[in-house]
Amino acid sequence: MKAFPKAKLQEVLKTLASKGTLYVPALVDETHRYYPYRADIQVSLEQNSAISPKEIFFPSTEKIYNFTAYGIDGDYEEILPDRTACVLFGVRSCDMQAILCMDDVFLTRGYIDEYYATRREGATIVALGCSKAGADCFCSSMGLNPVEHEGADAQLYDLGDYYGIQGRTEKGEKVVEALAVAGLLSESSAEVLVPEEFVLQVDSEGIAEKLQAMFEHSLWDQLWRKCINCGTCTYLCPTCHCFDISEKKKNQHCGVKIKCWDSCMFNEYAMMAGGHNPRPSKKEKVRQRFMHKLRYFPERYGKYQCTGCGRCIAKCPVNLEITDVINQVREAKVNG
Amino acid sequence: MVKDNATPENLAKATTEEIKRINPLIPMKAKVTKIIEETPDVKTFYISKEENGQMVVPFHTAPGQLAMLSLPGVGEAMFSATDAPDHLQLSIKKVGTLTDELHEIVPGQTVGIRGPYGNGFPMDQIKGKNVLFIAGGIGLAPVRTAVRYCVDHRDDFAKLHLVYGSRSPADLVFQYDLFETWPAVRDFQVSVTVDRGDDNWKGNVGFVPAFLEELKPNPDNTVCIICGPPIMIKFTLGILDKLGFTAENVITTLEMRMKCGIGKCGRCNIGSCYICLDGPVFTLAEMKKMPNEY
Amino acid sequence: MNSLIKEMQALAQELLASGEVKGVFGWTKGSRWYLTPPLFIQKAEDAIKLHYDEFAINNLTSLLLDYRNSDDKIAIFVKGCDSRGILRLIQDKQVNPEKVLVIGLPCPGMVDKEAVKDQRHVHDLPLLRKCQECRYPNPVLADRTLGDVQVTKEPGVPIGITAERAIQKGVGSKGKERYQEVKEIEALSADEKYAFWQKQHEKCLRCYACRNICPACNCRECIFESDKKGWVNKAATTTDNAFFGITRAMHVAGRCVDCGECERVCPAGIPIMKINRKIMQDIDELFGTYDAGTDLEEAGPLNHFKLDDPEEFL
Repeated sequence: MKAFPKAKLQEVLKTLASKGTLYVPALVDETHRYYPYRADIQVSLEQNSAISPKEIFFPSTEKIYNFTAYGIDGDYEEILPDRTACVLFGVRSCDMQAILCMDDVFLTRGYIDEYYATRREGATIVALGCSKAGADCFCSSMGLNPVEHEGADAQLYDLGDYYGIQGRTEKGEKVVEALAVAGLLSESSAEVLVPEEFVLQVDSEGIAEKLQAMFEHSLWDQLWRKCINCGTCTYLCPTCHCFDISEKKKNQHCGVKIKCWDSCMFNEYAMMAGGHNPRPSKKEKVRQRFMHKLRYFPERYGKYQCTGCGRCIAKCPVNLEITDVINQVREAKVNG
Repeated sequence: MVKDNATPENLAKATTEEIKRINPLIPMKAKVTKIIEETPDVKTFYISKEENGQMVVPFHTAPGQLAMLSLPGVGEAMFSATDAPDHLQLSIKKVGTLTDELHEIVPGQTVGIRGPYGNGFPMDQIKGKNVLFIAGGIGLAPVRTAVRYCVDHRDDFAKLHLVYGSRSPADLVFQYDLFETWPAVRDFQVSVTVDRGDDNWKGNVGFVPAFLEELKPNPDNTVCIICGPPIMIKFTLGILDKLGFTAENVITTLEMRMKCGIGKCGRCNIGSCYICLDGPVFTLAEMKKMPNEY
Repeated sequence: MNSLIKEMQALAQELLASGEVKGVFGWTKGSRWYLTPPLFIQKAEDAIKLHYDEFAINNLTSLLLDYRNSDDKIAIFVKGCDSRGILRLIQDKQVNPEKVLVIGLPCPGMVDKEAVKDQRHVHDLPLLRKCQECRYPNPVLADRTLGDVQVTKEPGVPIGITAERAIQKGVGSKGKERYQEVKEIEALSADEKYAFWQKQHEKCLRCYACRNICPACNCRECIFESDKKGWVNKAATTTDNAFFGITRAMHVAGRCVDCGECERVCPAGIPIMKINRKIMQDIDELFGTYDAGTDLEEAGPLNHFKLDDPEEFL
């Protein structure tokens, strides 16, 4: 397969960055997330980013329209992101699968979210196969192959001293071609490195079906007890897509409407005018999160809404682990 | 696709290519042309959009569908809407920040509107049948969207019967329809009750479930459309069951908090249904299969 | 340590079996060797799930807030630092002391799981910085104690069956240097300070983990809960994030019990304790040394007025 030496990574990135915005996982101020590439940025491909790449297509806050209100008059003015091309470099299988989950939500079922679509359509995703499982990774348990993902435009493989690269789509081939033109590619027959057995494993098969009859199960009476209802799990999750439409007022006459991340863990999330909350306590909120990931989403879109990236497990303040929930569901007795 | 044929089945099948590319989150600029004070805390707003110097309906809604109304600088919320040739009607009860502000506006106010959202009542499937409408309080707003359809297409339906109740005579909404328009329609029985009467009230006094039990509507070839406060629904469903209405023939609407209206923002789900997209209309049989979380 | 765990299990078993309490907050062994997360049990037979070791880092006290409207009595295991959280909740009138049974434990000193090198095999880990700086390794309040620990309102050295090991590992060895990080920031110029905190607040995800884990953040409804109140914007911009962070710090001023949980749980790695410690230092300097959540009878310098309070800002 075509390959480039790891030592030439910076040249590869420079080449790609010369064609448009290039997002790379990097460490800036001790935060590991995707940043637009700069020559002085500390690129880090050792492990997956702490913050998922979902924020590139679905930023935590974005402006959607300006509004004005003068007396009985008012107006709306659309704000759309620029439709520019970008490359996401180094996306792991878990995050690639998560992008497909996001695509299902934002691009299908009758309506397209123009904000997501505009960013997503211009993106070329260069995935990176994992040769080492992270401490909290369990993508293989969610049916993914850590080494490659067919949803990517191009796939990188860890060949030891080299990264192998294969184009999958027209957009991906362009990336390969750009690197070839720059003289960075050679042929390599080295074996693709694969991760050793995952420390964290769980059997997720049939969980969605089993949960069908478990909405009222006593399991949910216990799971919430240590949860603090913070939004860490949902904000780090590469598939959690809930958002709020809120606003920032500039003055009493004008302001901007914003679309910003929201979390089913928060009390305001489902609170209705008049004060009724269909999911009033921690129990209902915790149940909603896991049911959404493991039953509702599969029922609607035919895939789990958990890709085994392990970010929620790594950062949950109380170690409420989705793998443990899956195990408990598997072991639970269901009447009838 | 978006506007013409947004049934859940079609939406489920729709691919990216089939979806009309509009920005669904941006409200359409419209004006409030008329405000009717229905009760001390309910007002009906007529909303039109200006097009070539004419005031026209912003978009058409099917019975039971929803519209997202926004007051610039205040907020946005989802309401049941019914259409007329040149306007949409939204009847809104004062319950929170936005609705309080809406009750302060005057005709001519610019508002934002987007929609239509949701599945609507299955009027085609009800064709040829008797329709029993049951409503409590502001619950008559969604029910009225179906009543208006049946009145406009009177020949498509057999007997019509509305059972409506409110807290007091002063709280009866759409009195012009209840006591003038609808009683004049052929084969349309209108039965009104109040929880507490006043000196001038000559009609029935009592709660909707008890009144319904007295009226004993015949379940044969009849579909029931019911909306109202949860407590009324709960007890009325018991009576309907006793009268012999099957769960397939009882239709209601569900309410959840909504933000996007297009099945993306997440919050309005009940189980794997999004109320803004797959609802708000469900048969009792469908609801029995859904998690009890609304 | 094993005997201590057995004692914990036996006590929890007895408390639940006798009906004296309806639930017990403790810890259990997690999915990996370096995890000992919180556990809530309601049945006597579940007492064997309880575990305690140098990974039982969670301060469980804020979880009591879920039971503040309940008539059930709940038992809770506490380390020294955690016990100050109980005082916080009692002083803030969020927890009825009659409805909580506090069980004090000796603390072996908690270690840093971020330093784990091998997920499969147990190896030594360094002591957490907060434990090196610990001044209250023993419970300041407890209804029962296990492992020979003693209740004391005074700062001191570890007491009880784990004391020797704790001292050896360095628990409390840097107690006097706990304002070191504050001094480092104070040494910066105003512009540098501003740049430093801008960078930190830019990272904030507004997940509110810091608030929700905190025993001092016990408001029934936080002003940041709703954007409708107009206090704060939902937009996660640096300005709004800073507004949240600073407001929270000022609201727990004089009430922060120095457990460090906010900083531990922050998924963005914001050094929240630097702000809290700065405020503690200022209080010490203005009003004399004061440690919040150590004395049930003492209201704290920011909670009452004295005629000789410093007032140069008035």
